[in-house]
Amino acid sequence: MFRFLLQRLVMGLMTILAATIAVTLLIHLVPGDPVRIMYAQSQGTTPEQLEEIRARLGLDQPIILQYVAFLGRLAEGDLGTTIRGQQPVLDLLLVRLPNTLLLAVTAMAVAAAIGIPAGFIAAYNRGTWIDSAVMMGAIAGISVPHFWLGLLLMFWFSVSLGWLPVAGTGPLSLILPALTLGLSNAAIMARMMRSGMIDVMGQDFVRTAHAKGLPRGIVLRRHVMLASLIPVVTMMGMQFAYLMGGAIVVENIFAWNGIGRLAIQAIFQRDYPIIQGFVLIFAATVVSVMFVLDVVYALLDPRIRRG
Amino acid sequence: MTALPEIVDRKARPLWLRLIRQPGGAVGLTLLVLLFLTAVLAPIIAPFAPTKMGAGQPLTPPGALHLLGTDELGRDMLSRLIYGARLTLWIGLIAVGISLSLGTAIGLVAAYAGGFVEKLLMRSNDILFSFTETLIALAFVAVLGPSLTNAMIAVGVAAIPFFARSAYAAALGEIAKPYLEGAIAAGAGHGRLVLLHLLPNVMPVMIVVATLGLSNAILAAAALGFLGLGAQPPLPEWGYMLSSGRDFFNRAPWLMLYPGLAIAFTVFAFNILGDALREALDPRSGGR
Repeated sequence: MFRFLLQRLVMGLMTILAATIAVTLLIHLVPGDPVRIMYAQSQGTTPEQLEEIRARLGLDQPIILQYVAFLGRLAEGDLGTTIRGQQPVLDLLLVRLPNTLLLAVTAMAVAAAIGIPAGFIAAYNRGTWIDSAVMMGAIAGISVPHFWLGLLLMFWFSVSLGWLPVAGTGPLSLILPALTLGLSNAAIMARMMRSGMIDVMGQDFVRTAHAKGLPRGIVLRRHVMLASLIPVVTMMGMQFAYLMGGAIVVENIFAWNGIGRLAIQAIFQRDYPIIQGFVLIFAATVVSVMFVLDVVYALLDPRIRRG
Repeated sequence: MTALPEIVDRKARPLWLRLIRQPGGAVGLTLLVLLFLTAVLAPIIAPFAPTKMGAGQPLTPPGALHLLGTDELGRDMLSRLIYGARLTLWIGLIAVGISLSLGTAIGLVAAYAGGFVEKLLMRSNDILFSFTETLIALAFVAVLGPSLTNAMIAVGVAAIPFFARSAYAAALGEIAKPYLEGAIAAGAGHGRLVLLHLLPNVMPVMIVVATLGLSNAILAAAALGFLGLGAQPPLPEWGYMLSSGRDFFNRAPWLMLYPGLAIAFTVFAFNILGDALREALDPRSGGR
């Protein structure tokens, strides 16, 4: 088990390291002069000022030195300051990160609450019209774009019915974005749960349980259900990463004050320090959550726990 | 004794027949043929030019002259949606072309080379994979700047890790098979082995991956368009149309209804076709 977790930990650290390299290189891949592009929107910047900014960002140094300096500052918790307003990037991101996490986790709960039972029902009734209906619904759910579903929900619940706020960041405003993100993921989860269960149902220990005369319902609930949750948990890391990605779009629809909304604004304003910080924080968050889920997975699966 | 006749039976049935015998395959293929025809025949079937302002009164509700209404600049929605089909298919093809060619190349080389090259390629691929497609695509657009071309590149590049992983897994399965040993024994060189033996046998899997990848790419590019980071006005790109329709939410709900429906319809068609292809190609599914 420790070997498995150590492997995952090393992999996660490598990913974060790769993110720091990517973030340093990012600004150099911008076609043209990044400093000029960044300040294209603020008028009356003199060439001397541009040089000064270039020096401040360390862009006049060789790239290796820039990277080392970046790592040094990172170790002190300094991700630089924004182009406009010169606020510390790390603070901006850390203030918003809990909002994004809250949205992603709530969406995950919505997805699990709908997807797992739906997949269970489909597998339980495999080959019947119920199975086909659930799976058709799941494909339809995967095909509907988040942003459209979000707008439709907003139209029904906020504009037509007036039940929920249109946008903002509060307990009531969480419902629609979480539902938007959760519903499309419920579809993916239902498919995973169904195929996981069908796999497990074909295994020997299930046949044994049937053979010793347990009623079908008990076999499914006690033996199959738990075993088929393992692939679902394995995939939860990817699911979470996917939800974090989806949150970027959904936050922008509902004006939910998370890191995704900040990032899109930064892309429009060409505020590269924010974009760099965002990429790093996003990668670090995904890696950390995946590692935690790996631990859960290791504890859940006896083959790894005792291995 | 039941297994043997079934194998013979399966051999007699070509792939496309097995495909359209599945409801998903038949429906998906029909929908996509319709979509393709719409895109090709756009100049003939669209009642107005897609960017012609004032084709009707701005924000006309759906009616006899403008079947799906007009937008805030009086452009005919139906015509814009029809021309949008061209863009959507184009975006999907370019993006998937990028991820399919590069991803397959990476996966095949890693599986074939083995050793250090395999470790290096697949470990880096895993790292990119955990960055998630959305983040890679966003970073690309952030660097290159918002435009339709950049969005296509970003979406295509972002999916490379997934394609590489699928190609790698498929190639590993093929490498163990006797026909490859036979080819080696016959003296085939590296290039010949990879291109003429490995590649054709990995292709069926990659076609499934690419079909499902098309739906993914179309969704991702539409999301970028929706955020304003993809296609720019006045292009009739569905994602962008949807986001500009959002401002007229109350007065003209059709502006956000139809583009979303068009995206969902297209993605749905690719998804059911991809699923049916996988079933048709999977020997375990018994060639229903």
